[in-house]
Amino acid sequence: MLITDLCVGCTRCVPYCPSGAISIGKDKKAHIDRNKCVECSVCYNNANCPVNAIQPEELEWPRSVREVFATVYKEHKQTNVPGRGTEEMKTNDVTGRFRPGEVGFSVDMGRPGVGVDLKDVEKLTMALAKVGVEFEPLNPLTFLMSDKKTGKLRDDVLSERVHSCIPEFKIKEEKFPEVLETLQRVSKEINSVFSLGICVKVNPDGSVPIMKYLNEHNIYYLPNGKTNIGIGKPAAKF
Amino acid sequence: MTHTLHRSGTVESLSIDYPVLVIAAQGINSKDSAPKFRKALEIILKHNPVNFGDMRTGNYFRKGLKPILNSTKENSIVHGVFTNKNDLEECLKELKEADLGLSVVVSGLFSEVWPTLKNIGLKPHSLNISLGVFGKKELLPEREILDITTMCGHHCVSPLLVKKMISDIKRDKISIEEAARELAKPCVCGVFNPLRAEELLENILKKPGGQS
Repeated sequence: MLITDLCVGCTRCVPYCPSGAISIGKDKKAHIDRNKCVECSVCYNNANCPVNAIQPEELEWPRSVREVFATVYKEHKQTNVPGRGTEEMKTNDVTGRFRPGEVGFSVDMGRPGVGVDLKDVEKLTMALAKVGVEFEPLNPLTFLMSDKKTGKLRDDVLSERVHSCIPEFKIKEEKFPEVLETLQRVSKEINSVFSLGICVKVNPDGSVPIMKYLNEHNIYYLPNGKTNIGIGKPAAKF
Repeated sequence: MTHTLHRSGTVESLSIDYPVLVIAAQGINSKDSAPKFRKALEIILKHNPVNFGDMRTGNYFRKGLKPILNSTKENSIVHGVFTNKNDLEECLKELKEADLGLSVVVSGLFSEVWPTLKNIGLKPHSLNISLGVFGKKELLPEREILDITTMCGHHCVSPLLVKKMISDIKRDKISIEEAARELAKPCVCGVFNPLRAEELLENILKKPGGQS
């Protein structure tokens, strides 16, 4: 995103930037910090610049990675799914992706609202790979890996920063403590945050084994979350 | 896409916050689903949503009703946000009866959503549970700001914009309702709850020197 010389310094666009990348310079015009900007287009789409000074630019690789992980309604070519992740549990009633005894993870890196350097993302994906995690092949982040076995990202994207990206994977339930410990350890080594989500299939009797584990081990979880109500068709067989 | 999973706030505040999402499984039941998404949106609209949208088109506050209804696609993901359980229950009941074959996901307090499902003969199928935020939490804005900004899970609603709205309300440049609507605009999917935002803004403004 660019702010052209048309800018009259009205400051209207400044608060719209979720990354705090827009500021007013000594020349009394708005400027975008290119390192902080994640190419989300929120300023362009919402600030209603009175002189149309905010303009999108043609982004070249690897900077274009920022836009892919920030522009909500652009679908990813490989998945046909808009956004930064996959359908995960949202279509589990049809896909059967998460089966009894499995736990899906979505590590929302950079959220809420902080953003994340891809070199920090790599720290996490490589640590997870070391404990045997296999990443969801259809997740857009997995396409940036040069080695899916080690979680290594392509070297040419490592200096990029994204609004958020979501390492996704599933494990057998018994592996949950080891993976959680890994995530907790790496969370202390990165210069960002992540919001952690887990996906599970509810048992036919209505019980949720992972919740029992979370309660027994005093692991915090939010009282609110997402519930797939199971009316999709054709229904997956479990 | 966990864009309605990590909404922060007190149980009381979350008790008026129920986003519903309708989605197809790409490559399985997505073919010819565009009219089904329109039907789903029409059902959502009958039950007093405070916001709605399609991830492929945008939200009500930026795009308006007709462009969203008329633009559904096979990879649409449509949403409606409800503020009470009665509307939620009636909407889910009608979606169930419509038998569109699309997957439906409800966000909100498990303690409220699950009994609502039971009332209409449904059970939770799969869950997405948030274990909260990890890492350098000192980089986060204040909790009361996060309670507003996390209503857009893609984080298109800037903490600075919340502070600007608070400042504008204090200077009588804008009403609380107008501020909440302005905050809803950047949330492309239409899952931002402007009614809850009004309540949260009011609470901030009640505090001595709130976000001054």
